[in-house]
Amino acid sequence: MLHIPADIIQDMIAHARELAPHECCGILSGKQETVVESYRITNILANMSQQELSRFEGAKLSDLQRLSPEERADIAFQMDAREMAMAQRDIRTKNADLIGFYHSHTASPARPSQTDVTIAMEFEHYRTKLNLPEPLHLIISLENAESPDVRAYRIQDSQATEVSIQQSSV
Amino acid sequence: MIKVRIPTPLRPMTGGKNEVEIDGNSVGEIIENLGSAHPGIKERICDEQGEVRRFINIYVNEEDIRFLTGKETPLKDGDEMSIIPAIAGGR
Repeated sequence: MLHIPADIIQDMIAHARELAPHECCGILSGKQETVVESYRITNILANMSQQELSRFEGAKLSDLQRLSPEERADIAFQMDAREMAMAQRDIRTKNADLIGFYHSHTASPARPSQTDVTIAMEFEHYRTKLNLPEPLHLIISLENAESPDVRAYRIQDSQATEVSIQQSSV
Repeated sequence: MIKVRIPTPLRPMTGGKNEVEIDGNSVGEIIENLGSAHPGIKERICDEQGEVRRFINIYVNEEDIRFLTGKETPLKDGDEMSIIPAIAGGR
């Protein structure tokens, strides 16, 4: 069970709405199973020009070897690495833990896509070597615009298992 | 020699190896020497200005070089350098 303050859930939903139709992304920190802080991270794909994007695709994404062409075409967010590192440092300074990553699905359910699972497994590979804690993966779905859906998952051995979220009042 | 961990997307350039050993006294030198040993790899790590790309983190041991001295970060025998793409995902 993951405990998240209501204001952080609202902020993730607001972030998703602000960036739609692009996906938003961010990091959650806290202690054990309780989120205490969220960090909005720039989705570098959202503010790239078409020209930059085509160069970017050529430079990087098309070579993600484990991804099929369909999965590559599906990539919709990539965190700004510098902001991600800054957030991780802030978390460490506060003696908290990185609890999870979040991103939005603007038109699909709050379930990890095949691409999400593949990239999460890739991250697992580095994570264990760098002694980072295992992250949960949260997805904010705007598929139903009136009632956004927020769900959390553990992704291990290429399987996503839902972890229930308990919203706590502020 | 410094052990350099290569992420999956760049392994085609290292003959599939996930770790290579490279000589160098700083992160910048390692990137240069890695580029000489494995043509094309440097351009994937750094942009046209020579800066580490926005979607890549480089760690020395367990610390991001942005919190050390960037590409000037000195390295000594036994250090490990990891090249890690920032987290991404799909729809």
